[in-house]
Amino acid sequence: MSTNFTLPPAVQKVVAELEIQRKKIVSNKLQGWSFIVFGIICFVIGVVLGLAILAIVGFIIAIPGAIILFRIGESVSNYKSRFKQEVIGAALNSVDKSLTLDPNRGIVESEFTSSQLFTTSPDRYNTEDLISGKIDKTSFYFAEVHAEYKTEVQTKNGRQVTWHDILKGIIFTADFNKNFNGVTVVRPKNFGSKIGAWFSKNVYSFGDKNVVELENENFNKNFVIYSTDQIEARYILTPAMMEKINDLNQRSAYTISLSFIDTRMYIAFPLDKNYFEPPVFKTLLKPDLLDDDMSVLTFMYDIVRELDLNTRIWTKQ
Amino acid sequence: MIIVAILAIAVLIIGIGIYNSLISKKNQVANAFSAIDVMLKKRFDLLPNLVETVKQYMEYEGDTLTKITELRGKALGTNVSESDKLALDQQIGSAVKGLMVSVENYPDLKANQNFLNLQSTWTESEEQIAAARRNYNSSVTTYNNAVMMFPGNMFAGMLGYQPIAVLETAEEERKNVSAKELFNN
Repeated sequence: MSTNFTLPPAVQKVVAELEIQRKKIVSNKLQGWSFIVFGIICFVIGVVLGLAILAIVGFIIAIPGAIILFRIGESVSNYKSRFKQEVIGAALNSVDKSLTLDPNRGIVESEFTSSQLFTTSPDRYNTEDLISGKIDKTSFYFAEVHAEYKTEVQTKNGRQVTWHDILKGIIFTADFNKNFNGVTVVRPKNFGSKIGAWFSKNVYSFGDKNVVELENENFNKNFVIYSTDQIEARYILTPAMMEKINDLNQRSAYTISLSFIDTRMYIAFPLDKNYFEPPVFKTLLKPDLLDDDMSVLTFMYDIVRELDLNTRIWTKQ
Repeated sequence: MIIVAILAIAVLIIGIGIYNSLISKKNQVANAFSAIDVMLKKRFDLLPNLVETVKQYMEYEGDTLTKITELRGKALGTNVSESDKLALDQQIGSAVKGLMVSVENYPDLKANQNFLNLQSTWTESEEQIAAARRNYNSSVTTYNNAVMMFPGNMFAGMLGYQPIAVLETAEEERKNVSAKELFNN
């Protein structure tokens, strides 16, 4: 997706400076790794041929490599932080002056869990790049989240731990325009939830009593809806709202999940890549540098308008 | 012998399951209807307040206000069937909608905070009733499917359960609520 965003001259200057910093980082990385690779080769040859001196030399050569790599860590984080603050910051400003980015904050794990977007609780949780703003009466924020759970299998070689994604992507949350008291969750339809919904519909005393059957066929095809209050779920998910969510879902690569809780709405968008990060091994000086970031940014920003969250004709202001 | 007994028990359990499921679906329909009733009551309760507030400002809408008061009286009267109540609600709804449109001619009223609160509570009640009606229709559809499909239809015949008609959706409810339409006429 291409966006017509051109950086203001002041930011172009920052990008040019960052490009110099980036090149330095790349050359330092190459230097560091060449020492290490060369050192390892010497060490291996030394061990294979039984030449102790060569092995020791190899070991010694590798040390400065490790030091160089260790020392550029700080420079890399400075590079990333400047990119986020100054370049992404400028991009945010071009969309809306109220948008702010805090690279070190995100959506905290307790909020992720209490949003009830997912049923599995994470064993490993990372979040960054919190972007917040306000459009008219609706305040919102979103952040990158990587939540995983682990499974352990006992094998003859010991325990084998495997990590699985619960969500790798962005969680968007906004103040909802209607008052409600219960919890309504819209989850992608998968095999398990399909069976649960079938049982709840067809067999008494089996399955989930909280499943909400809605009239929109397209919506039902993609999602299973759970709610603590059948009427409230329909009060939130009006025919118009369902259509809007369908549209939003269609424009997302993977099926989204939504939850309505504590007068807020949460939307989880699974994504393939980490956004708002500067390239290290590719140049910054290309016109499409921010295209992906900008398309995600405008996508999130447009949600408030698309879901009509600023329509405050009900008692909630 | 054991196999026969197991089969008999299985059939019995399935039978009880279907029977209970039918009863629960029928109760669900009644429950969904009473939810609409509660919402309607809430909405009708807003009317006296609305009429009082509006009366002070609107000089030329006396007829509409009297009509709304009358309709409310009818709807809350005894011996009003549920379908009559719904029909009265629709009449009240369109009368109030007409009233809201004429508010445009009374700038003082448009600025009255009490009126604005009533207006948003009214719109909210409209959406809540629409939600309750949709909930009712969904319960009816589930119930009707159970009553008309095999094996539920066997039990339904025995219990004397008949399919129930769903509520027609009013044309206004199908439309998206838009702030523009409501306030910027």
